[in-house]
Amino acid sequence: MPRHIRRLLLVLIGLGLVAVAVRNLVVDRSFYEYGHYRGNAVAEIARDKPKFQGTAYCQSCHAAEYDTWAHGLHYSPDTARIVKCEVCHGPGGGRDPGQNYLHAATGPVHPGNLKLAVPADTTALCTVCHEQIVGRPAEQRQIVSGEHAGGQQCSLCHDAHAPLRFKGALAAAAAGGNPAAGQRKTAACAPCHGPTGVSAAGLIGPTLAGQNRAYLAAALAAYRSGARKNPIMLGVASVLSNSDIEDIAAFFASQKCAAGPGGAAQLAAARAAGAAMCASCHGANGVPTGAAWPSLLGQSTDYLQGALRSYAGGDRSHVVMSAIAKSLDDAGTAKVAAYYGGAACK
Amino acid sequence: MDDETSADEVQAGRRAFLTCFGSALAGGAVAATATALLPGPARAAAGGAPSPAIPDYDWKQHQWAFGVDARKCIGCLRCVEACKAENEVALDAHHFRTWVERYVYVEGEDAPRIDSQADPVNIAASGSEQHYRFANRYQDQKVERAFFVPKLCNHCTHPACVQVCPTGATFKTDDGVVLIDHTYCIGCQYCVQACPYGARFFNVEKKVTEKCTWCYHRITKGLLPACVEVCPTGARIFGDRRDKQSPISRFLAENRVDVLKPETGNAPNVFYVGIDKDVR
Repeated sequence: MPRHIRRLLLVLIGLGLVAVAVRNLVVDRSFYEYGHYRGNAVAEIARDKPKFQGTAYCQSCHAAEYDTWAHGLHYSPDTARIVKCEVCHGPGGGRDPGQNYLHAATGPVHPGNLKLAVPADTTALCTVCHEQIVGRPAEQRQIVSGEHAGGQQCSLCHDAHAPLRFKGALAAAAAGGNPAAGQRKTAACAPCHGPTGVSAAGLIGPTLAGQNRAYLAAALAAYRSGARKNPIMLGVASVLSNSDIEDIAAFFASQKCAAGPGGAAQLAAARAAGAAMCASCHGANGVPTGAAWPSLLGQSTDYLQGALRSYAGGDRSHVVMSAIAKSLDDAGTAKVAAYYGGAACK
Repeated sequence: MDDETSADEVQAGRRAFLTCFGSALAGGAVAATATALLPGPARAAAGGAPSPAIPDYDWKQHQWAFGVDARKCIGCLRCVEACKAENEVALDAHHFRTWVERYVYVEGEDAPRIDSQADPVNIAASGSEQHYRFANRYQDQKVERAFFVPKLCNHCTHPACVQVCPTGATFKTDDGVVLIDHTYCIGCQYCVQACPYGARFFNVEKKVTEKCTWCYHRITKGLLPACVEVCPTGARIFGDRRDKQSPISRFLAENRVDVLKPETGNAPNVFYVGIDKDVR
């Protein structure tokens, strides 16, 4: 074989070996394992950690809430309408991208920090699905939020876990309570609130007759726990059991405190007194428009003024009332209290 | 004589050359064979390649597919936000692995008006590029009909994006998912151009292309994709076509379904119910 040909051959073989060596070094060994791609990439992509954990994960700690949800409208498997925990609470094991949840700032992973992400603004949250907009199918329950409950937080009335379950009066109706038994337990109440809960002139306690049962029960429970601060009421309530509270609330709720004159004339007067925003829940004459809110009927001006000051000062706390009380100055507080203070029990 | 001799010599020289050239070709062939006998294909040739090393998962047992019942979609966009959280997609109004379009037919107009969650009006309604909600538009028009259409990667049977990828960075898995290997992606974006559905986008930070994976890290663990997991109305359906009782098998058995742009020949694996000729 001529020498120049042999040299050419050697060069070619050398190039071939270099090509093999380079390919071995540069191309991943799993390339072409399954096709024209790096085979290991499949398992690498599959290794990512899931962030949404599913309802069973939530149930393991939040069994009560899960149970409420599983019996409510947000769990309707027959129509495939299932609003799972993480739709509203965000991913159980992951970041909170928009920081839209309370407690999210304390740590990205739940339950590592033992704080559940609770949506801060339920009005903004619920309307994501329930605001009436063009394109939304008619089967979806929809509201026009401007015309629904005066733009209050949805969670004020609805239990978000079971939205057709209402808070307040309906919950109390389910809880019950025996008015007759309650009357026998009111000896400590009468000196300040009157024997039937009608606070006549000279008595220092507010009128309880005709008040919402749920509101009364909640108030007694709050005094007992110290959430509502009043030294006299703390003493009285601290000896009451849960069933005592239900019975007493049922008794005073069953007593009569008839309304004074109502209607359009009174509403106009309420507006003039700066009480228009009160009337949207508590009614123009003090009789609440919804079952969830307390009656102002027969309350004294002093009591109402004191209650508003407590909300403004933080002794009492309520998502709506605290904000309203803080927005009123002393003159406004006095005007509102004077207006509702005029609606006496008949 | 001189002429004859030289002719013989030429013949001999040509024979020798051809012999040598043949040997050289043979050598080249040996080199090529050696190249071909790299570990990967060698394993592939020997009794079929095993499944990728995913715990408790054999991709030969599954064939994934996706369904969308547009009649049920309420446009709440929980899927879009869940996808961003699950897959750490950029939190802006320009990058989405899945998105929702609204088609509104206004009286007297030939073509529908189409907006998505990324529309400036809708971003203004949500107040942030990180939260999404459809604004209450078209109140002053007479709307004949309107509906929402969720969209995502179609994980086509004949994906154009895979065909154009110059590095083998994007590929179709045996269980029917189109994935992107971010270590092999060189960011040329040919695939972004090739996809007829606009399902791919460029991740400027990582310099790679990104798209929906049907949450491959979830489905290989027996979970649903994040968008399906959070859909509150069952408008998104996912499952294994090999399992005749899976939600997607029942969905396909019970409905007459459409795919988007069938004329492109990509053979999508996202099946729609309740869309319209204008949805493409």
